[in-house]
Amino acid sequence: MAKTSKSSEAGDKNRNKNKKNKNVGPNAKAMKQQAPKPNPFENIWSRRKFDILGKKRKGEERRLGVARSRAIDKRKKTLLKEYEQSGKASVFVDKRIGEQNDGLGEFDKAILRSQRQHRVKLSKKSKYNLSDGEEDDDYEFEGFGALSERDDFEDEMPPDEDDDGFEAKKTATLQQKFLDRGESEIEENKHKTKKEVMEEIISKSKYFKAQKAKDKEENEQLMEELDNNFSSLVQSKAVISLTEPGKMNALKALLNKNIPKENIKKDEFSDVQNLQTSNQDKPDSYDKLVKAMSLEMRARPSDRTKTPEEIAQEERERLEHLEEERQKRMLATDDLSDEENEDTERSSSQRPRSISGDDLGDSFMLDEEPRTKRGWVDEILERRDAEDNESGEDDFSEDESAEDGSDEEESDEDSDEKDLSVKDWEQSDDDNVETDLGAEEEDIEENDDADENKMGQREPKKSQNIDAVESSKSLKNSSGSKKINADGKLTSARLELPYLIEAPKNLEELCVLLDNCSNTDIVLIINRIRASNAIKLAAENRKKMQVFYGVLLQYFAVLANKKPLNIGLLDLLVKPLMEMSTEIPYFAAICARQRILRTRTQLCEIIKNPETSCWPSAKTLFLLRLWSLIFPCSDFRHAVMTPAILLMCEYLMRCPIVSGRDIAVGSFLCAMILSVAKQSQKFCPEAIIFLRMMLMAAKEGNNISNHDSQFYHLMELKVLRPLLCIRECVNEIAPLNFLKIMDLPEDSSFFCSDNFRASILMTLVETLKGYADVYGRLSSFPEIFLPISTLLLEVAEQENFPGALQEKFKDVAQLIETKIDNHHTLRQPLQMRKQKPVPIKMLTPKFEENFVKGRDYDPDRERAEMRKLKKRLKEERKGAVRELRKDNHFLYEVKAMDKAQMEAERAENFGKVTQFLQEQEHAFRSGQLGKGRKRRSS
Amino acid sequence: MVRPYAVKGKKRKKSEGKHYREEADEQQQLEAVKRTMFHKTASNGDDEQAVDTEKDGANGDIDELDGIPLAPSDQKDVNRAGVTFILEKASLEVAKVGKTYQLLNSDDHSNFLRRNNRNPADYRPDIVHQALLMILDSVLNKAGMLRAVYVKTDKGDLIEIKPNVRIPRTFKRFAGIMLQLLQKLSINAVGKREKLMKVIRNPVTQYLPLNSRKIGLSYSSEKLVKLQDYVETYSNDTSLVFVVGAMAHGKVETDYTDDYIAISSYPLSAAVCIGKICVALENKWNLL
Repeated sequence: MAKTSKSSEAGDKNRNKNKKNKNVGPNAKAMKQQAPKPNPFENIWSRRKFDILGKKRKGEERRLGVARSRAIDKRKKTLLKEYEQSGKASVFVDKRIGEQNDGLGEFDKAILRSQRQHRVKLSKKSKYNLSDGEEDDDYEFEGFGALSERDDFEDEMPPDEDDDGFEAKKTATLQQKFLDRGESEIEENKHKTKKEVMEEIISKSKYFKAQKAKDKEENEQLMEELDNNFSSLVQSKAVISLTEPGKMNALKALLNKNIPKENIKKDEFSDVQNLQTSNQDKPDSYDKLVKAMSLEMRARPSDRTKTPEEIAQEERERLEHLEEERQKRMLATDDLSDEENEDTERSSSQRPRSISGDDLGDSFMLDEEPRTKRGWVDEILERRDAEDNESGEDDFSEDESAEDGSDEEESDEDSDEKDLSVKDWEQSDDDNVETDLGAEEEDIEENDDADENKMGQREPKKSQNIDAVESSKSLKNSSGSKKINADGKLTSARLELPYLIEAPKNLEELCVLLDNCSNTDIVLIINRIRASNAIKLAAENRKKMQVFYGVLLQYFAVLANKKPLNIGLLDLLVKPLMEMSTEIPYFAAICARQRILRTRTQLCEIIKNPETSCWPSAKTLFLLRLWSLIFPCSDFRHAVMTPAILLMCEYLMRCPIVSGRDIAVGSFLCAMILSVAKQSQKFCPEAIIFLRMMLMAAKEGNNISNHDSQFYHLMELKVLRPLLCIRECVNEIAPLNFLKIMDLPEDSSFFCSDNFRASILMTLVETLKGYADVYGRLSSFPEIFLPISTLLLEVAEQENFPGALQEKFKDVAQLIETKIDNHHTLRQPLQMRKQKPVPIKMLTPKFEENFVKGRDYDPDRERAEMRKLKKRLKEERKGAVRELRKDNHFLYEVKAMDKAQMEAERAENFGKVTQFLQEQEHAFRSGQLGKGRKRRSS
Repeated sequence: MVRPYAVKGKKRKKSEGKHYREEADEQQQLEAVKRTMFHKTASNGDDEQAVDTEKDGANGDIDELDGIPLAPSDQKDVNRAGVTFILEKASLEVAKVGKTYQLLNSDDHSNFLRRNNRNPADYRPDIVHQALLMILDSVLNKAGMLRAVYVKTDKGDLIEIKPNVRIPRTFKRFAGIMLQLLQKLSINAVGKREKLMKVIRNPVTQYLPLNSRKIGLSYSSEKLVKLQDYVETYSNDTSLVFVVGAMAHGKVETDYTDDYIAISSYPLSAAVCIGKICVALENKWNLL
C-alpha cells in the first residue's frame, strides 16, 4: 500500500538529514558520495493499527530496492570474495599500514606510517643501534630551535595536531621523556664541580630556613587563635558560672596581660625567639591558674534515691542500734539517768498533745479495750453501711453510741468522716486506704483535742487509742524521733520491748510473745518483727515472713472467735496483715484459699446435721471481710475472691434460717456480698433470694400465692416462719450492732423483740436498695425485682408497721418501679431479622503503575527471562535462516551467472570454431584453398 | 494470542480430574439406573428422598445460624432486563510524550498538544473517569442492574467495561489503567483471569441486547422530557441503552439510536446526566 504523499514527505525528511550531515562534517562529505534522491517507487509503507501521536515514524517506510541492493553489495564484498577464494590454494593478504581501513585517506595513511617509523626508532631495542645521519637529525628536531630549519616536518606537524589529538599528545609525552633522560644522562656523566656543590649546599640551607620560618609563622597564628578563643571563653557566662569570683578576676588579669603581650609579639617579629625564651623562664600565670583549678574541689553528686532494700536495711540497722542501747541500759542500771532520759523524751512527746500530760491509765487500758469505739474494721463496716444507705444513717455506730450513752459528738464525727471514707472505699487501693486512714486518724486526734473537756471520762481510753495509732504510724514512717517518743511513753509504764524480734514459728511462740501486751504493744511487736525480718533484707526472710504471716492469720482467727471480742486489736491487726499480703501475695492467696476450702468442707459436714446452726461463725465472717479488703473484689475471676463469694452465697442458700440471729448473720453476708459485687457488678441471685425470703418472713399471713410457686418450692428448703412479722407497735427503730448480736446467745429474747425485727428490716431494705442500685443496669432487672417491689408494698401495708419503716419500704419500692419502667421503655419487641441486599462483588483491575508496552510484568523473573531468551532465539533463528536463504540465492545467482558466462563462452568458442570450420569448408568448397584453387583453377 | 502462563498445566489437570470424576459418576449413575430398571424396586425413590432430606438439612443449618428468621427480601427480580450505557466520543488517546506513553489530558500535555496542532480542550479523559465512577458506584450497579458499559473513543476504539469493575478513584490511576488498556487491549482482575475491560470490535450494536431501546441524550434535542416519566413508559423487560456523550464540546451523532431526548433545559455534564438516569431507574425499580 503505497502512499505517495507520505512518501514524498519522508523524502523531504531524508533530504533534510543529508543537509544536516553536510553541515556537520565537511570531511564526511568528502568521504561519502551524496545519497541519491530516493525513488518513490522504491518505498513501501505499512499502515499502523494505532496511530500514536508523538511517536517517531522510524522504520515505518522501508525502501525495499535500496535495502536489497545494499544487501547484494554486502554479499558481493564478502560472500562473493569467499566464493572466489574457495577454489584457490593461496591468498594474497595486504598488511600495509592503514590499508585495511577504508576511511583513511592517502595522507592519513602516510602519517600513520611515519609515526610507526618513529616508534620503532625510539623503542629500547633501537637504543644500541648505531645511528645514521637521519637519526641525528631527529634529535635536532627535538630541540625546539631546529624546528624552523626542518621543512620536511613543517608540513606534517600542524595537521598532526589538528586531525589526531591523541597522536599529538603521544608525541609530546615522548619528547618530554627524551628531554628528561638527556638531562639525567648528562648529570650522571659529569662529575660535579666544587662550585656546583657549594651552590647546591647554599640552596639547600636557604630552603630549610624558609621552611623553618614558615612553620614558626603557622605556630604563631595558631597561638593567637587559641588566645582569642580563650578570651572569648573567659568573657562568656559559662565560665563565670563554673568558677569562683576570685578566680575569675585572676583569669581576667591574665587575659589583660596576654593581650599586650600578643601585640608585642606581632610588632617585633624578628625578636620573638629571644622574648619567648625569657617568657619560658618565668612562671606563667596561666599555668598557675590551671594548677589551682586542678586542685580545686569538684562538684559532687547528690545522694541517689534509696532502693527499698536499702531502706529496709537502714530500718534494721536502726533497730539493731536501739536494741544495743537497750541492752546497755538493762545492764547498767542507772535509774537516774534513765529516768531523766525518759522524762525528756516524754516531755518532747507530750508537746503536741496536752492529753498525755495527765495520762496515767496505760495499765488499765486493757480492760476497756473491747469497748473501744473507733476501730478500723468498724469504720470500714460503717463505710459499707454508709454506701448502702446514702442518707447517711449508720446502724452499727449509732447503735454503739446509743449503747454508750448516745454520745452526740461521736455520731457527728462519724457523719463527718463518712463522705471521706466512702470516697476512699471507692478507690479501694490498699495504699490509699492506709494513707487516708492516717488522715482520718489525724482528724480524730483533732476532734478529740476539741472534745477533751467534754468527755472527761472517756479521755484515757481515747488517748490510748490515739497512742496506738500514733505508734503504728510512726513505725510505718520509720522516722526516728517520733518512734522514740512513742517508745518512751510506752516504756514509762512497763518493761521495754525488745527492738529486734525473731519471727515466731508457730502460734504458741506468738502467743507467748504477745501475752499480756496491750493492743498498741502487739502492733508494735508485729511491726518490729516485720522490720527486723524484712523480705528485702535477706532471701531467707521470705520464708520466715511467710510462716509469720500464717501464724498471724491464725492469731487473727483465734482472736475473732474469742468471747468477748477484742475488736480493737482485730482492727489493728488488719493493717499489718494487709501490708504483708502485698509483700507475699502468692502465699497470702494460698493461705486464704486453704482456709476457704476448709470452711467449705466444714459447712458441708455441718449441714448434714439439721439440729446445729450452720451459719458462719464470727471467725469466718471476720476472715471473709479481711479477704475482701486484702484482695481485689472487682476482678472477673480471682483466686481468692471468687471462692469467697461462692462460699458466702452458699451460706445464704443452704443454711436454714431458724432464729433471729441467723437472719442477722444472713443480712450481714448480704451486705458483704453487696460491697463485693458493687464494683464488679456480679449478679448474686442467692443474696436477692435471701432478701426476698426475709421480706416474705415479714409478711403476716404467710399465704403464698400460687404464681410464685417456684419460689415457694425454694422456700420449703428453709424452714421459714414469719420471724420478722412485727406484731406490736414499735416506737423507734434503733440500728443494730452486729458485733453485739454475734455475742448474744442464740436463744436470747432480744431476737424475738419487735425492736430487733424493725431494725433488721430496716437494714434489709437498705441492702435491697443497694442491690437495686447496683443491678439497675442488668437487662433482666424487671424480672428480678418486680416481685420484690410488690412484696415490699404488701409488707408495708401491714398493720403495726412503724411509719419510718413504711416510708422506707415505699421509697425503695418506688425506686425499683421507676427503674423497671425505664427498662420497659427501652425494651423493643422481637423483630424478624432484616436481610441487607448483597451488592455485586466488585473486582479490582490489575494494572501497572508505569506501564511500558512490551515489558514482561511476570512476577516470576526467571520465567520472564526465559521467555525473553526464547523469543530472541526464535528471532535470531529466523534471521539466520533468512540470511542463509538469501546467501544461497545469491550464490546460486552467481553460479548461474558463471555458468551462463561459461556457456556463452563455450557457445562463442564453438561459434568461432564452427565459423572457422565453415569458412574453411567454404573456402575448401569454393576452392580458394591452395590445392583446391589449383584444382579449381585447374 | 498465546495463553498466559502458570495456570495452563494446572488447570488442564484439574479439569481432567473433574472430567474423570464426572465420567465415573455418570457411569455409576448409569449402573444404578440399570439396576433399578432391572429390579424395579423402590430403592430409587428412597434415594431421592434421602437427597431431599439432605437438601433440607443444609437449608436448615443456614437458617439456624441466627435464631431469628430472616425477613423475605423484596429485591432481586431476575426478570428485569437491566440497563446498558454507551459513552460516545470519549477522549482517550495515548501518545508518546517524551520517552513514555501517556494518556493525553489537557492539563499535563497542553504544550505537547499545541505543538502537534491539536486543541487541548478536546482532551478530557476526566469526563470519562467521572462518568464511569458515577455509573459503577451507583445503587443501580450495586443491585446488579447494570449490564455493561461501552466506551467509544474519539479515535473509534470500542471498549467494553464489565459492571463489576472497581474503577480507580484517582485520576492518575485511571489514566494508568486506560493507558494499559489501550496498549494491551485488555485488563484482568487482580488474582483472577477474568477480563474486566477489553477493547472490542466495532460496531457496538452487535453487543446490545436484542429488544433494547437505544436512547441518546442530547441537549440540542427538541424532545425535552422528565426522565422519571419517560423511563416509566418502558416495560421492565425492555432493556434500556443510554447513549451519553463523554466529550467536552460537540454532539453525539450515532445512527443506531432510536430516540434522542433532552432531560434538562440546561446543558449538563456527563456525570450529572448519568446520575439523573441512575436515580430515575432506581426509582422505577424501587432500589434503595
